[in-house]
Amino acid sequence: MTWKHALGERVPDDLGREIDTYENQMALKRQGKLDDKVFAETRLRRGAYGQRYDNGQRNDGTGVKPLPFPSDGRTKGPDTVWDAPGMHRIKIPFGGLTTAQMDTLAELAEEYSDGVVHITTRQDVQLHYVHIDDTPDLMRRLAAVGITTREACGNTVRNVTACPIAGVCRDETFDVTPYAQASARFLLGHPDAQDFGRKFKVAFSGCKQHACGLVNMHDFGAIGVTREADGATQRGFEVYVGGGLGAVPHEAKLFEPFMAEDEILPTLQAMSRVFARLGEKKNRARARIKFLVAQLGIDEFRRLVREERTRLPRDDRWTDYLDDLPAYGETPLKTGEPLGDVTGSGAFQAWSRTNVYHQRQPGYVVATVSLPLGDLSSDQLRRLATVARRFVGDTVRATVEQNIVLRWVRESDLPALHRELDAIGLARPGAESIADITSCPGTDTCKLGIASSRGLAAELERRLAGQIETMDESVRSLRIKVSGCFNSCGQHHISDLGFYGVSRHVGGHVVPHFQVVLGGKWVENGGAYGLAVGAVPSKNIPEVVQRITDRYVEERNDAESFYAFTTRVGKRALRAMFEDLMSVPAHDVDADYYRDWGDPREFGIGDMGIGECAGEVVSLTEFDLAGAESQIFEGQLQLEAGDFERADALAYGAMLQAARGLIKTENIDISDDAEQIVAQFRTRFFDTELFFDRFAGGKFAQYLFRRHARQTPASGADTARQLIEEAQLFVEATHACQARLAAQPPVIPPPPDGPSAAGSQS
Amino acid sequence: MNLATMTPPPVDDLQRVALKVFLTNDSELDPRDAIPVFHRWIQTHAVNGLLIDVADYAHLPSGPSVLLVAHEGQYALDRTHGRLGLQYTQTRPLDGSLSERLEVLWRTLVSAARLLETDPALPGLVRFAGNEIDCIAQDRLCAPNTPETLATLRPTLESLLSRVSAETDWSFTRDTEPGAPFRVTAKSSSSAFLDTTAAQPATPNDD
Ligand code: HEM
Ligand code: SF4
Repeated sequence: MTWKHALGERVPDDLGREIDTYENQMALKRQGKLDDKVFAETRLRRGAYGQRYDNGQRNDGTGVKPLPFPSDGRTKGPDTVWDAPGMHRIKIPFGGLTTAQMDTLAELAEEYSDGVVHITTRQDVQLHYVHIDDTPDLMRRLAAVGITTREACGNTVRNVTACPIAGVCRDETFDVTPYAQASARFLLGHPDAQDFGRKFKVAFSGCKQHACGLVNMHDFGAIGVTREADGATQRGFEVYVGGGLGAVPHEAKLFEPFMAEDEILPTLQAMSRVFARLGEKKNRARARIKFLVAQLGIDEFRRLVREERTRLPRDDRWTDYLDDLPAYGETPLKTGEPLGDVTGSGAFQAWSRTNVYHQRQPGYVVATVSLPLGDLSSDQLRRLATVARRFVGDTVRATVEQNIVLRWVRESDLPALHRELDAIGLARPGAESIADITSCPGTDTCKLGIASSRGLAAELERRLAGQIETMDESVRSLRIKVSGCFNSCGQHHISDLGFYGVSRHVGGHVVPHFQVVLGGKWVENGGAYGLAVGAVPSKNIPEVVQRITDRYVEERNDAESFYAFTTRVGKRALRAMFEDLMSVPAHDVDADYYRDWGDPREFGIGDMGIGECAGEVVSLTEFDLAGAESQIFEGQLQLEAGDFERADALAYGAMLQAARGLIKTENIDISDDAEQIVAQFRTRFFDTELFFDRFAGGKFAQYLFRRHARQTPASGADTARQLIEEAQLFVEATHACQARLAAQPPVIPPPPDGPSAAGSQS
Repeated sequence: MNLATMTPPPVDDLQRVALKVFLTNDSELDPRDAIPVFHRWIQTHAVNGLLIDVADYAHLPSGPSVLLVAHEGQYALDRTHGRLGLQYTQTRPLDGSLSERLEVLWRTLVSAARLLETDPALPGLVRFAGNEIDCIAQDRLCAPNTPETLATLRPTLESLLSRVSAETDWSFTRDTEPGAPFRVTAKSSSSAFLDTTAAQPATPNDD
């Protein structure tokens, strides 16, 4: 008997067929009858991602070594070895989990993964170290409890997210859950949503002011609003499009201030069609809908979507779910009851101060289970399901802050709930505080990770957890978010203190660093994006956090928010607070800087000897790179001051200076002339692909070429801001290229099989 | 799940299975201390398997704490139910009968345990008990957590223990927590350490 037989009809027909097809494609791939790229997209669309080292090599701290998997040349995608462990992303619409689903997830983590369940920054679940051969059964067992991993990755509509407290929130306009649910169902496998050049992310929020839905960073974001019409209250949504983080972040643009509720699904369909038709397909780096919106302008984009909308044949699913709305709602397991005079233990009080939210329904609260790094073990999850069954039933949700909330807790049950959570190690206080840090997987498991985001987050959590009780309230509620690279899966742009991993080449070694990102806003649905202020060695980041938060406590005006404080103080002064922490001691003075958090290996490409000549050239290059960085920083200051032309010129200048630095590594006499720099850079580094990033290819070089081709300076804030982001990435790519060149002859032998450029997989 | 009407695969098909030995009460190991050790093991190929990476879950109070992930299986300093020990889980299929496979597993586990005990970076921090062993089946199809599974597996486990340990009076207790994987704890009344127990020469596998 197999799982397929054992589960029988409990796997819905359509999902069962889907999984069978996938299994057949696996068989074809094993026989070498399916193209690598096609199979990679096939598995990605079903949530089966690659994982770090699946190209069959790993730096063990002494150099890059082969990992000889017994795959006999079989691959599961370009440069991705069949037998290498993978990551499985499991889509949880709006984070809503039943207790049966929690049980199944715990079982799957034990049987197919490493016994740990991970909550992601978009309310999904991830399992790591999964063998591809196990994925069909994993999917079947999920399907039997109503979960599909279909379209959890790939160029598809990703998980539809929504406020984790929708329906019980004191400030929401109305419960957006049924709309999120209907959108997820409607778009899943929809023929009009299958031919995108890139992913499409949808979010729903019940209000404008809080963070929960993070509408501002989504491709399609909807905030619940109402209006009075014909003497009745009408529900609708303020709809935003074209937001997105990633390498070049865009804040979403207002598409419509009031879209009636019955227009949400048809508009999503129409927008999908426009995106599929006009969105970029070849160049992944510019394929998100944000680029299409920017290219067409929001007005033209809106016109096209509306026109498309009028052409759509009516589909009953657009509105069927609305008939059930009046009946929609969760049934609490118990009748509400206030806590009364109970004070409880000190631990209980500390926990309830930060982890309990009073629902708008009297006598009920939401309790947050704060998960370190979004992780919990299988046995913890199974026991949490038991606790949930006893206290709340099936009203559990995962959050974008990588936690789990139990809704509809009877307030008088809180001490008992706290005791039971404590018994399973899930009563950590400080939920949604500075000590509850969000982090992407980073170098632990992500193929694109540069620095250890989880290592840094764990270290910061360790340090901050002890201080949380005595900390100034203004600091306690700040958010820290960490990404392992510029792709921003950890959402560092929209936190108070954001960090993303970069590397720097110092004296023949590569040193892990984090860019410090300030000026972001978590509230107002991720209302403002921060900018990188300076790159600091990983090991100095805790001190950066300490200094900035201390300064905020000391110099804050009355109730001034952190965002207002950073804006008032300005980037120059902020950077000055940690400028002395930006340098790296020599390797023989403090080798600890050359290792990442939680990882004893010598970082990056390992030991390398450099001759005197190379040393000399490197230092000239370093000089230009440092100059480029200060131009970018100056550009940010000009952006803040509203001088967009100057900001644009500085960003352009930074790219030219970085390119010039790189050209100097070839011992070329190069002038300051832009034409000459771009021409030399093109022939020596672009045409030769020396500058190419393993994943992004020539994308960063295009930033320079595009700006160079555009004769006129930017006049608007958006364009100037984008160029600054691009220049930052160009300079990062230059650092990386320089490090690769310095490491010559290459330590990394070409993989024995398959082409070398893997597509990025997010 | 109601599998009553179907024939489950024989327990002998069980591949995803783990063995765990426990640290003695006076061991003072912080699992995090093992991270550099595991990384070194990867560099020197110190233990069985194609060693891939180290995963750090030391922030979890229960479950795996620090893992050395190999292609064939996972070595974990494991803290399930709050008790720290070393667990080896076979994750890819092995050849041979279940009894033979369990013996391979045992040897893999014990050699890793002995290496930890004698690692100069962990001086005096690690000592494993030889009188308690968990066997965990991570396969609810082959080995559901039932008294029947215990009855079927018991002779195989007894035979294994008689071959690899000097202890004789093993008692077996199954973890009956609903939903938990099949886990049986074998305990003997002695206070033997793993280093003495595992030093016993193995008798040929005769079952
Ligand atoms: C195998 C590991 C991963 C890879 C290769 C990867 C790659 C990427 C890339 C290239 C982007 C930028 C895309 C763009 O907007 O143009 C991105 C953005 C993002 N990814 Fe990942 N990612 C990985 C894992 C994750 C994980 C674990 C999460 C958590 C659920 C995640 C969530 C996000 C989010 C939230 C963004 C940015 C937000 C947005 O623009 O919507 N990614 N990722
Ligand atoms: S931000 Fe970078 S390191 Fe982190 S998960 Fe995304 S792609 Fe990977």
